[in-house]
Amino acid sequence: MSRWLRGTTIRKGGSSNGSSATRHSTPQVQSTSTTIFGGGVKDPSGRTSEYFSMDDQCPVCKSDRYLNPKLRLLVSACYHKMCESCIDRLFTLGPAPCPICNKILRKLAFTPQTFEDLDVEKEVAVRRRIAKEFNKRREDFPDLRSYNDYLEEVEDIAFNLINDIDVAETEARIAQYKIENAAIIEQNLQREEQYAQYLKEQEEADRLEREQRAAELKKLEEEEREEKEKGRQELIDKLETSDKDVKKLIARSRAEAMKRAAARIITPALRSTSHLLRSRAAQSTAVPDVPHVPLQDDWYAYEDKFTLRDDYDDPVSDAVRKDREGIMRAGGYRVEEAWERALRFAVAGLDVRPLQGLRSEPPPASTSQDVVMTAA
Amino acid sequence: MDAVEKANAERQRKWVKDQKIGEGTYAVVYRGRELSTGRKIAIKKIKVGQFKDGLDMSAIREVKYLRELKHQNVIELLDVFSSKTNLNLVLEFLDTDLELVIKDRSLVFLPSDIKAWMAMTFRGLEFCHRNWILHRDLKPNNLLIAADGQLKLADFGLARDFADPGYKMTCQVITRWYRPPELLFGCRYYSTAVDIWSVGCIFAELMLRTPYLPGESDMDQLKTIFRALGTPTEEDWPGHTKLPDYVPLGQFPKTPLRDLFTAASADCLNLLNKCLVYDPKKRISAKEALNHPYFFALPYPSHPSKLPKPVKKESHIIIEEVEGNVDFSGPGPGVKANPPNKLKRKLSDDESEGKRSIARRLDFGQRGSS
Repeated sequence: MSRWLRGTTIRKGGSSNGSSATRHSTPQVQSTSTTIFGGGVKDPSGRTSEYFSMDDQCPVCKSDRYLNPKLRLLVSACYHKMCESCIDRLFTLGPAPCPICNKILRKLAFTPQTFEDLDVEKEVAVRRRIAKEFNKRREDFPDLRSYNDYLEEVEDIAFNLINDIDVAETEARIAQYKIENAAIIEQNLQREEQYAQYLKEQEEADRLEREQRAAELKKLEEEEREEKEKGRQELIDKLETSDKDVKKLIARSRAEAMKRAAARIITPALRSTSHLLRSRAAQSTAVPDVPHVPLQDDWYAYEDKFTLRDDYDDPVSDAVRKDREGIMRAGGYRVEEAWERALRFAVAGLDVRPLQGLRSEPPPASTSQDVVMTAA
Repeated sequence: MDAVEKANAERQRKWVKDQKIGEGTYAVVYRGRELSTGRKIAIKKIKVGQFKDGLDMSAIREVKYLRELKHQNVIELLDVFSSKTNLNLVLEFLDTDLELVIKDRSLVFLPSDIKAWMAMTFRGLEFCHRNWILHRDLKPNNLLIAADGQLKLADFGLARDFADPGYKMTCQVITRWYRPPELLFGCRYYSTAVDIWSVGCIFAELMLRTPYLPGESDMDQLKTIFRALGTPTEEDWPGHTKLPDYVPLGQFPKTPLRDLFTAASADCLNLLNKCLVYDPKKRISAKEALNHPYFFALPYPSHPSKLPKPVKKESHIIIEEVEGNVDFSGPGPGVKANPPNKLKRKLSDDESEGKRSIARRLDFGQRGSS
């Protein structure tokens, strides 16, 4: 409420230290427009820090910070600066040409400025965009040579885009690459996400562990102190009341204290779950997890050698099939399985060579593999 | 010595028996190694003498089926030989089992770990079923884990081949907590679905870290199941009321699995649900389970080498001592007698105190009153 009374409006984007008393401390950036501009370079906490200078002047309307203390300059897609009021004025009615270079611009495509030099701003943006798609890693290449070639090519593309050389051709190259490597790009994106997730988890785990450790330590100290106090009190009481040998009493109380101390040490310092989780997470990046492969052996069930019919004239299974009350079926028994088994056993021996008469020739490798149990 | 004995002796010579590592009802397990390579093995010595009809049934079953099965997720039977009156099975040596892993509270499971164990279990089971063998005793205790993290189905003492219409099968199989309702209802004709139910219970146990359906008797087991999954209706499971040992047990409402498994993903619960379907015909098969979206979704199953494993006892103690900042110079818990010189010094101390015992006592008294 007091803030409202002081007339401070809520700031958008940009960090500031509050007071703008001195000329060169970071003054407040106050937005005049209702649009929230995205983009810009984010710091680790996720906020964009904006470049800001007292000498700012809007190249379009020539208004400067002296005339308009709330002046905020934003950068267009063609890397030209202009102030928020100009943006509102020019682009609120839809896409319009840039007053400096005539490129068609949209209101939402303006970003806050992070770097003083707009060339740097552009390079960072281009490299960020490139890195998103050209995200192959060393392990995606058979040898170092091809990886280096790839890096060279990425550098080439980045250079072209930054310096506006053959933009159309370069864009075509990127599109081509994107189509060819869609799967790898997607996979590496996922990997990066996982890694980011892992970092976040680890940070959280670290914090938790620190807290837990501190709490444990405090508790332990407390207990120790209490015990000492109790032991001393007990000894005093005993010495006071009992008429036993003082020497013995003191020796016993010492022994007890010793025992307690030893017990404390033995109590396994329970390693916190966060610690365990962290040690698990630490190893999880060492060996990569591979996608699930349903069956990992050479499954062959002779399925190409027979077709199972719906019904057979089978006296053995009559009892099961006449199971009118469904007792057998309720247990999950299926006659079809019996038929399939019989058929599979019948065809399993078809390709096996006879054991006799072929002594000179070793049996073919395929039959020696025990993939499917043969009819014994 | 006839040829058979000679061959047997030759086989026996290939293996060395070291120390005993466990004992079951019908067998003693020893750790051993292969003489030529030094590879670690386990020798299961089957006690023959105590059975009237010769060999125990489970030993025959174990040999009969394990000889046929060779798969990365099924324990490998390397050799069989006899010594005196005993039958010895030479099996590959596996470090630990899933039960020990679940019970070790110092281990933390990631969702990807559970996924990896489930995939390996289903793979081993699918191989058995493909070869017309029912395991019939799946439980965490029987899922052994190799040094490289691979999970292997073991203990084929209750296994048998299936799909034979001529014979009834016994329903007194599978450890109670993992036994499906059709067996509890006394069904004598069943199929692969019985193993899937057990896997479903193991799946739930991996997430809960405690047995999912711990019934105290066969009757209580059914009640426990119904309490967890709701009483089946004729629609859920056609024909179940006609099963030999069917008894109505009252109506329990169906509660969604989500209530108990709060942290599980939707895919994960979907698969669990399909493993615990009442009608055995509608229960998912091992092959279908392996193609379930749960296994393909992120996170990928953990690489076997990264799966958590209980720490060996000896090394565990060492770690604790170092972490606890033990002062090794002081008398530790295991040290009963003080070193002689220390003892002497202490005695003399006590003596000097003893001379003025009365005075000290008075001192204390004064301090207490003031």
